[in-house]
Amino acid sequence: MRANVWSGRNTVQVENVPDPKILNDRDAIVKITSTAICGSDLHLYDGYIPTMKKGDILGHEFMGEVVETGRGVSNLAVGDRVVVPFPIACGQCANCRNELYSACENSNPNAGLAEKMFGHPTCGIFGYSHLTGGYAGGQAEYARVPYADVGPMKIEDDLTDEQVLFLSDIFPTGYMGAEFCEITGGECIAVFGAGPVGQFAIASAVMLGAERVIAIDQFDYRLEMARNKAGATDTINFDADPDVVEQLKVMTGGRGPDAVIDAVGMESVSGHAPLQAIERLKQASRQETDSGAALRDAILACRPGGIVSVIGVYGGLMDKFPMGALMNKGLSLKTGQCHVHRYMKPLYEHVKQGHIDPSFVVTHKLGLGEAPNGFETFKHKEDECVKVVLKP
Amino acid sequence: MGSTTALTVLGSPDEVRRKWEDPTFRPEYITDSDADVTFREAPGDRGTEIHVALQRADPKGKLGQVFQKVVGSVSMAKVKDELRRFKQLVETGEVARSEAAPEGERAERKLKQRPAQPLEQSELQKAGV
Repeated sequence: MRANVWSGRNTVQVENVPDPKILNDRDAIVKITSTAICGSDLHLYDGYIPTMKKGDILGHEFMGEVVETGRGVSNLAVGDRVVVPFPIACGQCANCRNELYSACENSNPNAGLAEKMFGHPTCGIFGYSHLTGGYAGGQAEYARVPYADVGPMKIEDDLTDEQVLFLSDIFPTGYMGAEFCEITGGECIAVFGAGPVGQFAIASAVMLGAERVIAIDQFDYRLEMARNKAGATDTINFDADPDVVEQLKVMTGGRGPDAVIDAVGMESVSGHAPLQAIERLKQASRQETDSGAALRDAILACRPGGIVSVIGVYGGLMDKFPMGALMNKGLSLKTGQCHVHRYMKPLYEHVKQGHIDPSFVVTHKLGLGEAPNGFETFKHKEDECVKVVLKP
Repeated sequence: MGSTTALTVLGSPDEVRRKWEDPTFRPEYITDSDADVTFREAPGDRGTEIHVALQRADPKGKLGQVFQKVVGSVSMAKVKDELRRFKQLVETGEVARSEAAPEGERAERKLKQRPAQPLEQSELQKAGV
């Protein structure tokens, strides 16, 4: 089959690789009809996540048709149309039973590696480095899906791929970020990053009843999408004015947002040129893996007693984390890789009811063979790119 | 120091101990060593804690300590792998296999991962599939 593989920093290529095979009774093989490039794939592409190996198939957002099932899979049949959640979760360990699927205790066969870095292992993740198990990803014609009796969700209506594909990751991830904010109605929420996850965090905050949602980014076209499609009430372009904290305070009458969502993660940039230069230098010289440009502003802007919700991906260590502000303002920090399994069904219902059409983020549809161009376009934000969907 | 490890497995101590001795689940590397294995009920209905203490004489001299660090760390890594595989088998009925580590978690495999892409037909048997 054809698959998009990582072959070094800033290089991916579409190659012929063997077809996936059932390795365990609870596996299924899915013929992929749509797959996407995720912002977190850029962390791999840019070389920020360790333990990548030449030849690794990328991709953790995918859906398709079941073509083979292992003996232990009775809930799926050949021909079923399914969306696959990006965390690989057994469904039976204590964490899965507590709906903490991205902390599955059994699905990572490189648990020892992850444990050294994080204290405890993460779950397995499709196409996302060897730290998360070394599973082949979904930017391919076919993929093997472990624990297929737990993860894949059947799609039994005529919604298009683009309307349901993002239930695999970015919609639930954005939603979880908004849910962390404990919105009861009337709140002001600031969302750092108007990429695909940020767009869904904004839309979810609106759905949950926030009164004001402020989107922060450096690209006007993304802020326009946030305002026109996701439902943001206000926007800040930090390239135009880098003092985000002051702007947020003014917008909220000096109080600060009730909760802030970091939908940026480890490669965040600052609008202050000197600060940005220092941050880049520290990352390039490996003094830190994670840039704190967005998270620092988020913490400084958040109102006392407020909530800091972090769904942007971080991989290791950050220099100059403002612990003093977090502590003295009594903020709560909530974070995590999304427990996608927990959100897929309820959010699918929202899509079916027409409360939201997740396809609004799609700006580019390409063939799988064009994946390398897709990565470049997405990385450099060319051609007003927000979300790239690949068709194998 | 560094010669004990523990992991919690869902199930009562009796159930977990029975499986520990059952040939389908039996962790050979640990049971064949002279490790001291104890089963304790975890608080709040959280299953059973398996504690493994490796028997080791104190190494003599700096060189001995370094030697033990190298050799010892490998065996502790194997013990941890086997504990995780046991937990996986008990809780999920199978050993987690990825394309990079198709045999499941093994210390040797951590240094020599396959790329994360499907196996050739000829590799399946070797991986025990």
